[in-house]
Amino acid sequence: MRPTQPPRGTRRGSPQLRLRVGFLVIAMALSLFGARLVQLQGLDPNSYAAMAAAEGMVNVELPAERGDILDRNGKPLADSVDGLMVVADPAMTAEKAPELAKFLYKRLHVDYVSTLAKLRAQDSRFEYIARRVPATKATEVVAAAGRLGFEGLDTRRDPVRDYPAGDVGANLVGFLGTDEPLAGLERTFNGQLSGKDGSSRYEVGGGNRIPLGENTVTKPVDGQDLKTTIDLDLQWYAQRALRQAVEDSRADSGFAVVMDSRTGELLAIADDPTYDANDPTASPKADLGSRALQDVYEPGSVEKVLTISSLMDLGLVTPKTEIVVPPELDREDRPIHDWFAHGTIHLTLAGVIAKSSNIGTVLAADHFKQGQLHDYLSQFGLGKTTDIGVRGETQGLLPARASWTHQMQDRIAFGQSVSVNGVQMATAVNTIANGGVRVSPSLIEGSATTDDGQQVGTDHTTRTRVVSEDAATKMAHMMERVVDPEAGVAPAAAIPGYRVAGKTGTAQAVGAACGCYDGTFDVSFAGFAPADDPRFTVYVVIKNPRNGGGGGSTAGPVFAKIMSYALSRYGIPPTGTAPSRLPVEW
Amino acid sequence: MSSPAIQVRSRIPRLAEDAFQKARLSVVPRRRTRTSRMPFIALVSMVLLGGVVGLLLFNTSMQQASFASTALEEQANTLAARQQSLEMDLDRLRDPQRIAGAAQRLGMVQAGAPAFITLGSGKVTGVPTPAVAAPFRINALPPAKPAALNPAPHVVLVDPPPTKSDHHKSGQGSGKNNQNNQNNTDDTASGNQGRGHGDGKKNQ
Repeated sequence: MRPTQPPRGTRRGSPQLRLRVGFLVIAMALSLFGARLVQLQGLDPNSYAAMAAAEGMVNVELPAERGDILDRNGKPLADSVDGLMVVADPAMTAEKAPELAKFLYKRLHVDYVSTLAKLRAQDSRFEYIARRVPATKATEVVAAAGRLGFEGLDTRRDPVRDYPAGDVGANLVGFLGTDEPLAGLERTFNGQLSGKDGSSRYEVGGGNRIPLGENTVTKPVDGQDLKTTIDLDLQWYAQRALRQAVEDSRADSGFAVVMDSRTGELLAIADDPTYDANDPTASPKADLGSRALQDVYEPGSVEKVLTISSLMDLGLVTPKTEIVVPPELDREDRPIHDWFAHGTIHLTLAGVIAKSSNIGTVLAADHFKQGQLHDYLSQFGLGKTTDIGVRGETQGLLPARASWTHQMQDRIAFGQSVSVNGVQMATAVNTIANGGVRVSPSLIEGSATTDDGQQVGTDHTTRTRVVSEDAATKMAHMMERVVDPEAGVAPAAAIPGYRVAGKTGTAQAVGAACGCYDGTFDVSFAGFAPADDPRFTVYVVIKNPRNGGGGGSTAGPVFAKIMSYALSRYGIPPTGTAPSRLPVEW
Repeated sequence: MSSPAIQVRSRIPRLAEDAFQKARLSVVPRRRTRTSRMPFIALVSMVLLGGVVGLLLFNTSMQQASFASTALEEQANTLAARQQSLEMDLDRLRDPQRIAGAAQRLGMVQAGAPAFITLGSGKVTGVPTPAVAAPFRINALPPAKPAALNPAPHVVLVDPPPTKSDHHKSGQGSGKNNQNNQNNTDDTASGNQGRGHGDGKKNQ
C-alpha cells in the first residue's frame, strides 16, 4: 500500500450505503419489469400474441391443380391452365381506390362497384379482385398497375379451366361454376379431379421470405386425370354431321352414339343442340345435359332387331320363314298397320325386316310364350341403366313381366310401349354386332369412382351371351337387306364398298304435355359395319323432324357419314365378301 | 538452492549416510508461475468475433439465398405460365373445328370411300369413290328469324298486259292475305327461308 493513496470509503461513501442504494435501484427496475410482465401476460395476452404473429406473417391458400379430362388419345377435352387470382391488400389500396377500381374494370372487366368496396375494406389485408385469370394476363395487369403507381395488388396461383374444343363433347364433360363443378363428368368425378388444396404460412420481410422465420407449408395434392373412351375427332365429326341433319330436317333435337363393337367403348356420344362449355350460361338449361342418356323415348322399329333375333335364338323362325302379311291386322284393342299401304303381300322374315313391316313382326312374335320376349329384352339391357358414369341417366321403361299382356307384347315387338335411352339401345343392337354377346358400354378408360361411390369404366366391362352366334349372324344378314337399294328401305345408309347391316326406326313420340302420342315422330337408324366382321355400331336418333322423312332418309345418311368416317379413320378395310342376298319375298 | 545440501553432505560423516538420505527430503517452495493472460483473452475474443462474424455472414448468405429463391421462383412461375398459355394456344390450333374450317377454306372436301390394296397379293378391296364436294356444314346455321323480321317475299303475279299500279297497290294493301295464299305465314316456313339464305352465303 502506497501512502499517497487516500483511504477507501472516504470519497465514495460507506460501502453499506452504496450497496443499499444499488439494491434499491435494482428493486425499482425489477418491479417495473414485473408490472409490465403482468400487463403483458396477465391482462390481455392473446391480443399481443396475435399482433406479434400478424406482423409480416403471410397466410396463403395453395389451390390444387384440377385433373384434365382426356379423350382416348390423350387430347384434352377439359384442361387446367395455370391461372392467377388478382388479390389486393386494402390497407395499401384504400388511398387510390377509385382510380385503381377504374383501372381494374378496364383491364380485367371486373365490376367497378364491388371492386371499389373490396379495395376499401376495413380491417382486411386480403381481398379477391379477380379469379381464374390466365397467368400471363394477370402478371401483365399487376405490372402495369405498379408502373402507374398503384400499390397493394398481388397475384396468387389459381388454375383456370379451359375446354379447348368448345362444344365438342360438352354434353358429357360438363362445366365448372366459380367454385364447384356444376354438370357432367366434371361433377360426377369431382372427387378424383379436384385434388386437395394446400396452405402455406410464412413470414416475409421486404417481399422475401425470412429464412429462419416461421414457415409451414401443406402441399396441395393435384387432382388426377380422367381418361375417357371418347375419340375427340370422331366426336367432332359426329356432332357436326348430326347438327347438319337436325338443322336440315328442322328437328327438335338429336343424338348419335358410336360404339366399338368388340369392347363396348363409346367413341362418341353426340348431342344436338349442344353448348359451348367455355360459356355454358349462353345456352338454355335443357341443352346442358346429354340427351343420349337422359331422354327417354320409344325406339320404334329398331327394336324389331331384338324381337326377331330372340325368336331365331329360340329356333322358332329362320330368315326364310314365309309370312303372309295382310293389309291390316286386327288385334284385341286396335288394328295394327304398316307404315306403307299394301295389299296382302308375301314376305320372308328377312323381307319383314328389310321393309320394316309391323304386321309381319307381330305375326312372327306370336311364336313367343308368355314372358319370353320380356326376358330377352331384359337381357339385351332394356329397363336397366347402363351405368357408364353419366349423371341423371334414365333407365327406360320395360313393363314388368307380371303386367305383360298379349296386346302389350304385340306393340313391344315393333318397339312401342317400351322406352329406352340412346346408349341402352345402341348397346342392345351392338349385341348382334358382337355375335350375340352383350358387352356393357363404357365411357371411362380404366376405372373411376362416381360421386355415388359406383365403380365404372372399361375395367368393369361385363359380357353376357343373349342370343346364339348363329342367330346373331342370321340377324346381321337380314339387316344387310335394309340398306339394299332394291329390297330395303334405307339405301341412303349404305357405304360404297362395305357391307353394312342396319335397321331403321320411325316411332310415334310421346309428348311431355299430354303423356300420349302427340303426332310427332322420332326417326332413327342403328347399324354396324362391316356386317360380317363388325367394328363399329352407330345409332342415330333425330327427334321430331319436320321434313316428313323417316328413319332411312333422315337418320340413314347421318349413319353413313359417321360410319364411313369412323371406318376410314381407323383404317378398317372392307371384308371383300359378297353381301347377303336373302330373299325378301316369296 | 542445492548449495546448502552439499554443505550438509561435507559436514556429515559417512556413518550417518542413512540419516542423511532421509534428511534430504525437504519442502519445496511453491512455484508461482505468472503466465500471460493475453493469449487466452485473444483466443476467446477471436472465437467470439469469429462466431459473430460467421453468424452474420451465414445470415447474410441465407438472406441472399432467399432473395435468389424468390427471384427464381418468380421466373419459374412466369415460364410455367408461358408454357401453359402456349399449350392452350396449341390446343386451340389442334381443335378439329379450326382445322376443318382451314381445310374448307383451302377448298378441301370430305374424302370418298377408300379402297385398300393388300401388299402381299396386290388384291384391291373396297370401291374407291372420288371425293365429291358434298356440303359439310361445320358451323351452326344462324338462328331462324321470327316472322316479323323475316317476312315472306311478296309474289305479285302480273298479267301479260300489265296494269302495274293496281297490282302493286293490292299487293301492299293485303300483304297478309298474300302470305296466307302462299301458305308461308307460320314461323317454320319463314324460318326455312332464313336458313336457306344462310346456306347460300356459306356456299359462296
